[in-house]
Parts: sequence; structure tokens; C-alpha cells
Amino acid sequence: MKVFPDDLLYSREHIWIRVEGELATMGITDYAQEKLGEILSIEFSEVDSYVERDEPFGTIESSKAVVELISPIAGEIISVNEDITDDIGIVNSDPHDTGWMIVIAIEDPEELDDLLDAKGYRDFVLHEVEGD
Amino acid sequence: MIWRLLPFRSLDAAENMAIDEALFRECQPGQTPPTLRFYAWLNPAVTFGYFQDPASDIDLEACERCRIDVVRRPTGGKAVLHEHDLAYALVAADIHPSFTPDILGTYRIINGCLARGLALFGLEAAMCPDKRPSIDERLGASCFSSLSRFDLLAGARKLCGSAQVRAHGVFLQHGSILLNFDPERTAVLMGKHYRQEGGQAESLQASVTSLYEQLGRDVDYESLRQALVRGFELKLGVRLREGDLSPAEERRKNQLLRHKYRNERWNREGGSAGRRAPDLISDSGSGRGC
Repeated sequence: MKVFPDDLLYSREHIWIRVEGELATMGITDYAQEKLGEILSIEFSEVDSYVERDEPFGTIESSKAVVELISPIAGEIISVNEDITDDIGIVNSDPHDTGWMIVIAIEDPEELDDLLDAKGYRDFVLHEVEGD
Repeated sequence: MIWRLLPFRSLDAAENMAIDEALFRECQPGQTPPTLRFYAWLNPAVTFGYFQDPASDIDLEACERCRIDVVRRPTGGKAVLHEHDLAYALVAADIHPSFTPDILGTYRIINGCLARGLALFGLEAAMCPDKRPSIDERLGASCFSSLSRFDLLAGARKLCGSAQVRAHGVFLQHGSILLNFDPERTAVLMGKHYRQEGGQAESLQASVTSLYEQLGRDVDYESLRQALVRGFELKLGVRLREGDLSPAEERRKNQLLRHKYRNERWNREGGSAGRRAPDLISDSGSGRGC
């Protein structure tokens, strides 16, 4: 059973975003972690580095593929989740909460307008699954 | 449906990886047709997975001694010795109607095409039904020591290893079909704490096979390539038309060669070095083979 929390925004590259003031926390969606399978390795851009919109903020490897983590918005990376280094399993077991990945300072709030809400993302995913 | 088929070429490992990634980076979903290429290796080479640490997983001194190129791949998975193999690469949008957005589904489809081509070549290959761990933990760094679902088997032994990278709705899957296999050399280069009497080469011999072993004859690249191309055409109902790299792909390939695949630091350190690469441009490359 896939989970689509209502308090998050979503990108079509399967990244969730939680907006709190001028900061955005991001991670991969429950759907994405299920699709990837067991996560084996992950790397993030460094704290204080700048990530462009639609550019990778990290790379993840599952037992099936390497996948780039594409940021749907631009901004400076404020922090990365070091807990993932100690226990990478939390990305699979709790992707929307303790498995968060990075926090960035939002540069242009208008970029958030292109993101999907939970219903929109659920529909997007269902369409993708039906196409399988 | 028309796909693009790039000409067969034998190039060094850095250029082969740069071409594969350039095709991947320049693919525009909905505009660029799927692209397939088959290629070989100008020098013996070890390519290793994007997240592997070559210092701990590969005997770099042995590689240098044997003049074997060592290059990091853009894809995941484990290390492969390229010496007597035919490699393939396929790049397409994951929404392309021939494929599925599902990662495993893509493996199933592409490996099914390869199996069809191998059947035309006279070899019945089967797809592995499940994932199986490494046959020997000392060989865990080697792609051919373990099996993933849909890997191609001949006589229940691994014949072809494949890996993927995905971003922006595009995937690259490339892999290596063994024409011949040298378990001793693979064990020496990738076996941790290798000892001749340790049994690693025997473990590999028991779980890996090659076209030479299965068919009992030498295989030439061109006849195998033609059969595999036909396998894709028949399995997916597509036509493959010869084409070349576009100017944008050529430019991207040259950038990738400078910033990544001929940049020793990127090959050794991986992603973080790659992101710093613009000020680290180097054409020093890795060692040239025999």
C-alpha cells in the first residue's frame, strides 16, 4: 500500500518536499523507494553548495539501478541527513520522515507552483503504473 | 518504429563510458529515438560500479602491472573485466512504448531481446528467475560472482551482466556478454585476499560461462552483433537504422572524457570529485593496455 501524505508537495521525479517558511526538506517518495527496491548506497552534494532546479542533489543506488535525485527547486543546501549514512535502511522503511535527505533554502518560491499535491501525485503514479 | 544503431567500435574504456553517458545525458524524451550500440575494448579494462571504492574492491596494483585500464561507470553494480566480451548499451526514455518505467521490467525486456538474438546465434539463454547472492564473499566486488533477476544464463551459469542509471525520465542500460572468460584473471583482479589455492577461480568457473564454452568455437564480434541487432528487431518489432553521434552528443562525450572518464581523481573518488571536476580537468587517463 503506497503512502501519499497530504502535507507534502511532490515532483514528477518522485521527490517529496515539505515547506517550512523559507526552507524545503526533501526526500524520495514511498512509491520511489518501492520501485527502487533495497537502497544500498547514497551520496549528497555538500552542505553550503548550490543546487539548480532540475539538477541532481545526490545519487542513490539500489540493487537494481543508480538513480539521480533531481531537485525540483533551486537553492543552497543547508543540511543533509547524516543518519542515513549510519542506517541507510531508513530510506526504505520511513522515506517521508526519518529518511529525509536534504534541506535547502528556497530561492524562488514560485518554483513550488509547478509541484503536485498528494492527489495530483497519486494520479501521476497510478498513470505510470497503468503504463507498466 | 525506427531506432538508431551506432556503428560497432573498439575504443578504450574511458571513451566507451563517455559515449554511453553522452547518449544518456542528451536523450530528450519524446524526441530522441532509442539508441543501441555494441562495442568492444581497445585495451583490457576493468569498469566498476558508480558507488564502488576501487581502492578496496580492485587490485589496482595488479591492474597497473597488467596494463589494464580502470574506469568508473555511470551505472551501478559491481566490477567487470572487459577483455573477451561484447558490450552493449541502450538509451531510451522510460515512457517509450517499448519499455516500462519499472526498472526490473526494463531489464526483462532488454535481456529478452538479447536472449532472442543469442537464440538466432545458436545459443539458448534463459533469464535468472531471482536474485542470488555472491558465490563467494571474497569475490563480492565482481559482477559475475552474483546473479540478479533477469540476468542471462546459459547452462545455469551467468553469461551476461548488466547495469542501469536513470534520471530525467531517461535510462541507460549497458552490459557485457562474455565471449570467453578467464576466472583466474578475474579472481586476481577483483578477489579480496586472493590466493591461488583459495578456490576463488574455481568458484567463478563453476558459476560463469562464455559463448566459447557454450558453442565450442570462437565467436567474431560482427556476426554476434548482427544476430543481437536482429533479436531486438524481432522481439520489439522495431527497425534499427545506422546513425552516428549528434554534434551535441559528440560535444558532451568530449566534456565527459575531460571531466570524468580520463580524470583519474574522478575514477578513484567518484561523485564528489565529479562535481568539483571543472577545475580538475586532466587528460592523464589510466594506464594503456597491451
